Amino acid sequence: MLNYALQRIGLAIVIVFLVVFALFVMIHFIPGDPVAIALGPRATPEIEARFVAKMRLDEPLYMQFFAFLGGVLQGDLGNDIFSERPVLTILFEALPYTVILATAAMAWSAALGIFLGCFSAARPNSLIDRITGVVSIGTITVPSFVVSIYMLIVFAVFLKWLPVIGAGEPGNFWDQARHLILPAFAVGLGWVGYVARMVRASMLEVIGENHIRAARSFGLPHRVVVYRYALKVAILPTITLLGIGFGNLLSGAVFAEIIFSRPGIGKLIFDMVMTRNFPVVQGGVLVTAILYVATTLTADLLAAAMDPRIRKSL
Amino acid sequence: MTDRFEPAGESAFSEDRKPAATLRMVLRTPQGVIGVTIVAVFLLSALFAPAIAPYDPFQINIPDRLQAPSLNHLLGTDQLGRDTFSRILYGGRIAVQLAGIAVGLSLAIGLVLGMIAGYGPRWFDNLMLLLFDTIRSFPTIVMAMAVVSLTGPSLEMVMAIFVINAVPGFGRIARTQTLALRNTEFILAEHSLGASTALILRRHIMPNVVGPLLILAAMDVPVVITVEAGLSFLGLGVLPPTPSWGSLLNEGFRILRDTPWPVIAGGLPLIITTLGFTFLGESLRDVFDPKLRKEP
Amino acid sequence: MARPVLAVRHLSVDFRTLRGRVHALRDVSLEVPPNKIVGVLGESGCGKSTLINAVTGLLANNAEITRGEVIFEQADLAKLSERELLKVRGEKISMVFQDPMTAQNPVISVGRQMTDTLYRHRKLSAGEKRKLATGMFRKVGISDPEERMDQFPHEFSGGMRQRISIAMALMMNPDLFIADEPTTALDVTMEAQFIHLLRELQADIGCAVLFISHNLGLIAELCDEVVVMYAGEVVEKGPLAEIFFNPCHHYTRRLIECDPSRVLDRSAVLPTIPGRLPNLTRLPAGCIFRSRCGHAIAECATKSPPLLAVSETHSVACFNHASLIERPAGGRAPRLKSNASENPVLEVDGVHVRYPTGGLIRRLLRPDAPRHMDAVIDVGLKVAEGQTFGLAGESGSGKSSLGRAIMGLTPAKDGSIRFKGDEIRGLPPREFKRYRRAMAMMFQDPVASLSPRQKVRRLVMEPFEIHGADGRDLNREAENLFQMVGLSREFFDRYAHELSGGQARRVGVARALALRPALIIADEPTAGLDVSVQGEILNLLRELQRELGLTYIVISHNLPVLRHVSDRVGIMYLGRIVEQGPTDRIFSRPAHPYTRALLDGIPRPDPSMRRKLESIEGEIPSITNRPPGCEFHPRCPIASDLCRAVPPAATELNQDHVVHCHNPLQGA
Repeated sequence: MLNYALQRIGLAIVIVFLVVFALFVMIHFIPGDPVAIALGPRATPEIEARFVAKMRLDEPLYMQFFAFLGGVLQGDLGNDIFSERPVLTILFEALPYTVILATAAMAWSAALGIFLGCFSAARPNSLIDRITGVVSIGTITVPSFVVSIYMLIVFAVFLKWLPVIGAGEPGNFWDQARHLILPAFAVGLGWVGYVARMVRASMLEVIGENHIRAARSFGLPHRVVVYRYALKVAILPTITLLGIGFGNLLSGAVFAEIIFSRPGIGKLIFDMVMTRNFPVVQGGVLVTAILYVATTLTADLLAAAMDPRIRKSL
Repeated sequence: MTDRFEPAGESAFSEDRKPAATLRMVLRTPQGVIGVTIVAVFLLSALFAPAIAPYDPFQINIPDRLQAPSLNHLLGTDQLGRDTFSRILYGGRIAVQLAGIAVGLSLAIGLVLGMIAGYGPRWFDNLMLLLFDTIRSFPTIVMAMAVVSLTGPSLEMVMAIFVINAVPGFGRIARTQTLALRNTEFILAEHSLGASTALILRRHIMPNVVGPLLILAAMDVPVVITVEAGLSFLGLGVLPPTPSWGSLLNEGFRILRDTPWPVIAGGLPLIITTLGFTFLGESLRDVFDPKLRKEP
Repeated sequence: MARPVLAVRHLSVDFRTLRGRVHALRDVSLEVPPNKIVGVLGESGCGKSTLINAVTGLLANNAEITRGEVIFEQADLAKLSERELLKVRGEKISMVFQDPMTAQNPVISVGRQMTDTLYRHRKLSAGEKRKLATGMFRKVGISDPEERMDQFPHEFSGGMRQRISIAMALMMNPDLFIADEPTTALDVTMEAQFIHLLRELQADIGCAVLFISHNLGLIAELCDEVVVMYAGEVVEKGPLAEIFFNPCHHYTRRLIECDPSRVLDRSAVLPTIPGRLPNLTRLPAGCIFRSRCGHAIAECATKSPPLLAVSETHSVACFNHASLIERPAGGRAPRLKSNASENPVLEVDGVHVRYPTGGLIRRLLRPDAPRHMDAVIDVGLKVAEGQTFGLAGESGSGKSSLGRAIMGLTPAKDGSIRFKGDEIRGLPPREFKRYRRAMAMMFQDPVASLSPRQKVRRLVMEPFEIHGADGRDLNREAENLFQMVGLSREFFDRYAHELSGGQARRVGVARALALRPALIIADEPTAGLDVSVQGEILNLLRELQRELGLTYIVISHNLPVLRHVSDRVGIMYLGRIVEQGPTDRIFSRPAHPYTRALLDGIPRPDPSMRRKLESIEGEIPSITNRPPGCEFHPRCPIASDLCRAVPPAATELNQDHVVHCHNPLQGA
């Protein structure tokens, strides 16, 4: 386990480093003059010079990279071009909204998905299994931003039961919860089907294995065989999948935040892209990537800890 | 071991080289029929859009603006009076082009990188894995927004972003398959005959790796279309007035207060094509890989 | 006779498949009397597994019992509900399966799995269940049961896991115990231990046993009664001695004859049963064995023979069995002469094969752990032209690694490998390619060693494509090769998975022969083949050797096979050849205790030669954790202090007979 954990953590660190590197490369090598793009056509040479100095664009590239990397390591992601506020502060204001949305979406979709998956794997090819299958595919096929838009139409235009704009009054738990319902539904919907199908496939594979046949040959009832013997094995790949799925969820959250005007990271990055506020965009991308790496790492470690074959090895 | 009563050859193993046989097996299930039908309609309507479309998708007709669906305008009109149905048909052309090129390119690059990673030196394998993991750590849309903010929106950029994001998926499968094949007895046997690496990769590994990649390709077509639609919806992909499904949603969303119809209509083709390709992909997987088939 | 524990009457099972109904079992009847071990003998495809699954109610969803009943304690199991079946399986009938490595849940501790089998015994407290489980662990020979209860299956070796399987199966004190090929995945010495344990426990618990196997030796060793199955039918049944000494069905008789351990004359051609199993979707009219029988009479073609009594206890399904009562005189088998010369084709000296283990971080965490494992250590051998060298050993003995090292597929660390006098060890691939024409290798799995997406024709022509065709007509070459290995041209356009094991093996031989090599290394040439087919392949290999003057290295765990084909034999243990010498001498007067143990471990297909004792104790140690001194000493019955401290050097006895042992056995 220690060996595995160290390897996995080491890998995560290397990946974050590469992400930083890639971000840096992206900004400096993708065609387009950042100065011109950031300041727009009306900038005077004087303003440009000040901007270049502030962003250290006049130093050699490798120096810029080390400055950037050093900043990242110290938690300094630069300042907002316009308001001059530290990027990190801005990001941390937005981050909770995104994390809450993604967690809520993941929680309800994974719970329902795992349940549906087990349920249909226990009765393969039954009517319920088939209905679950169709519903799963249905939820997978609707892109999450289309769900968000449709939800918006239905609730804003027709039903008007739930609030569709914003994240709710700060400090008011119930108001915030009510504002969370629609985006969390829209973001998680596709995941229900995805998780259900994954769990079902993984369960069926395990149920076909010899040890399940052996357990059945000892007269253990169906319930025990499925939920104690098979699920314990089948859940391991599912945990890993959920970790990876968090990344997809983040993409879905970006749309939901924009469509429902929820002040999370996604909306922040989108707004900053529109105003060409680079440091914030760059920081936002970095933070989401780190969030993703951390989630997959946690999922992998959790799955490893639950698997005695890995837990008990060095 | 149970007795081998599943007749051999029922898998597509021998038949998969003949597309007609594969199609026949796909068409055995209702899911396959629906999938193939939708995909066929999608391709044909894109191909013959100029012939089918009742109106010119660019023609502005202010008097007929913001109409609800009717016999004249099957899916209504937008704020400039353009026929939404015609615009969707033309949007399909963009989707087909994009999907074909982007998925094809990702498959080819992923196949080559994956096979080399699986068969080649260890360091290259580790490098590729690291690269794939790193790319995967960028949430697609966030990265796309960042890139497009630098380069400005364009169809080519959407394509490039998709390819970069999709290559790891193809590469990983190709690598895993190659790695599993690498130590099989038939590859050892080829080695013992003195077969060159190129021959082994081309003749003995590639045919066994391509199958799963094709399934992924079918599943990835709707992903490209969705990514394009998503970016265009945000105004970072195909720009108006070019009629793509995403730009339709983008324009429709702005006039949502006036009429919901363009948005509703713009989402439908996305949902339907995704459904079609997902069904097709699943049926293909059932045919190619009977191990994953439901029950005995 | 007491009422049987289990009585299967006229059982027929069909499978619905996409290609139609497969009639997997037809009119099968058998009884298992109390306290007796009944063996079901049959080759692959005979319906053994379907029979067990039907008895235990574990048939797949597409199976259907079309007729007959399974009477167990006066109830028909075929008609019970799932709930009632669970009760029977949980309290009365238990099983052990073929593969010990997959028979237990990997994420639940073995103790928990043990106590779970007592699920139905609600009266027992958790503590009592655990106590019963530790007792059972002790009984099956697992030391420190208290501690090992909390371990997970992956922490046990294969042999131990099969013991755990037995322990789990016997926990509930079943009335009927079913063992489905329980030793097929085990090595010879482990198999002997397992059989010994099973016999002991059966006598102890006194349950009835249904023992399924394709291995005649095991059946002879263990069973009281035998049921012989062929293609889904019972063709003969009776007491063990009757079946072995007076087999009445032609299939039984031929099957017994096929066993290579019965053919003591090494120059004799092995008997075989030509032909294939009939297609069970479209059954032929008349006797199911007719096409392969050779003794069929007119009646056989029209009517299916019923099971008729030969004596009170012995019955057979054959119209023409009377002719069998007098056996034809032996010794009519044609003979093959060996034409070995003295010129060495291959000389191996002091070869090591070493594989690296562990990654960077593992190394940092455990700096003292070994960084590599030695699969082959200091091996030397010499094979003369036209000779066959047999390489024997259990799994993990390094025999395959050695074969691959000779072929340059795995690097040999040091020593020398000379092919016809040329040093070929460590040659760069480009230079080695020259020798690949002259050396060929056949791999274990006949089907899996053929590329799955290429037609057979292409596969057979491939060696020419790789090494240059020299303007030859490849199609004609392929046809010639096919003729040499006895395959008809209809197989040209097939894929590997469309061939039977025997046919695929022939294609493998054709590929190996294509470039007319001098040396062929055959890794387990008979693995995965039924006894009746195994003889065909061995005969073919020997015939080709005689015609083409080939030299062979045959790698196998199957000692009777090696005895039959080899001129010289080397016995490997933990990467070393511990003994080598002329075949007759090794088999008649082994000098190394390990060789002796291996030979004793072979079950004899003769009920009058049952072994009394476990031949050898303990398990093969891991090659990453070698014992000091003589590596065999922990398992050696005659180990001395010297053996525990000093590794033995090679001792030449006589006649080229070399052994690595401080105390070679007397008489050698």
